[in-house]
Amino acid sequence: MIGQGEDKEGQKSIEQAILEYVEALYGYAMSLARNPVEAEDLVQETYLRAIKGARRSMPTGDLKAWLFTILRNIWINQRRRAQGSELLLGIDIEGLESESEWTAKNQQRPDTIFEQGLLRENIRIALESLPEAFREVIVLRCMEGFSYSQIAEILGCPVGTVMSRINRARAELRRRLNK
Amino acid sequence: MNEHVIYQIPLYLDNELQGDEQRLFEAHINACASCWAALEYERRLILAIHQARPLYSTPEGLREKIEQILQNHQPISKRFSSRTRRVFVAIVVVLGLILAWFIARPTHIPLVRPSEFALVAVDTHQRYTRNQLPLEVISSSPEEISTWFAGKLPFNLKLPNYPEDLNQSKPYEIVGARLIGFKQDYAAHVVYRLHNRPISLVVTSETIAQPAGGEKIPWQGLLFHFDVINGWKVLTWSDKGLTYALVSDFEEHGQASCVVCHSGGQDQHKFEGLKFR
Ligand SMILES: [Zn+2]
Repeated sequence: MIGQGEDKEGQKSIEQAILEYVEALYGYAMSLARNPVEAEDLVQETYLRAIKGARRSMPTGDLKAWLFTILRNIWINQRRRAQGSELLLGIDIEGLESESEWTAKNQQRPDTIFEQGLLRENIRIALESLPEAFREVIVLRCMEGFSYSQIAEILGCPVGTVMSRINRARAELRRRLNK
Repeated sequence: MNEHVIYQIPLYLDNELQGDEQRLFEAHINACASCWAALEYERRLILAIHQARPLYSTPEGLREKIEQILQNHQPISKRFSSRTRRVFVAIVVVLGLILAWFIARPTHIPLVRPSEFALVAVDTHQRYTRNQLPLEVISSSPEEISTWFAGKLPFNLKLPNYPEDLNQSKPYEIVGARLIGFKQDYAAHVVYRLHNRPISLVVTSETIAQPAGGEKIPWQGLLFHFDVINGWKVLTWSDKGLTYALVSDFEEHGQASCVVCHSGGQDQHKFEGLKFR
């Protein structure tokens, strides 16, 4: 089916449709693993599972959210195995100040950030310095455009949790960008 | 300055405020310079984050590796097409009438993704059956439910009241209904019960959703799209400006669920075309 193009009705095969998200999934995988080799493995494993899963039953919701959920589950399971215990993303949210590795490259005042143009590099550094659970929701919401309810589905948690986590994540990101 | 509105800025920018909340928020923003400035700041921050995408360039060759993975596995569409073909063969045996149409069809039927509307209808039905989506109105009266929907939907919904013949007993019952969000608008979700099995009817305007995808079954001047999603049978079609989705776990194409609108014996022949055996 790959490279076959759209059929007469303009509908894509599922293989073509999911291939569109390689880049987005890699970005998400990087935001979780922060290691290119691991991220690449995560994406490949995601597609393997997706293709097997789709054969059993078609995903009901959004294809993109479905792929992101698979990737996240693989990541959580790998981490669980590695650490030999129950692990939930987000446990490192407390005590932000102490674990921050981020140092501001450009000491800017809040109102001048935009005037000089927020550099991609600054955002990347600030994002990478965020705790994993915060980094994750920023990527899902601000970069990938998922709605709160889609994020809740991907993370397997209530919408209220997503809402407060996004708020805190943005506040923390803002703080780090303005440092 | 109103702290409450400041708190709502991220929700507003993420399109998570609706109705009165949104109107009150906008009214405050228009009148309050400091909240407006905070909103603008946040808006630019979000835009800047979005524009920073992608933060990482995808390694060369990853896409090819994924294509290889997809190629090495039996295409999903082939598996589906063989099943779909069996379905069509069966239709021919029963009806014979659509033989010419069947021959004209390509034998390879690619997997066509179900429409978003069909997916939402199945998701709604599934949530209802898992008790995750309570009904907003509980009533077995179609009139009462139609009245409840009046003014809430961007279209007029009149539920049929069968049987018309009072001597005939109703083979199904209406359980209730609720509004569901669909594409910045509302759709009606009506729940029926037949032989103790739930059926969901989801209705929206044809301008918001058009049936697409799945297996196409032209019948009685209408074009039905049939899909099996997560084990649920879903039939979608448009008629007179409205688009419908009927979800159930009934046999074959789930056409037994059609009874919710057509319980009269004189109507039964209408669904023969959706049958195969
Ligand atoms: Zn204000």
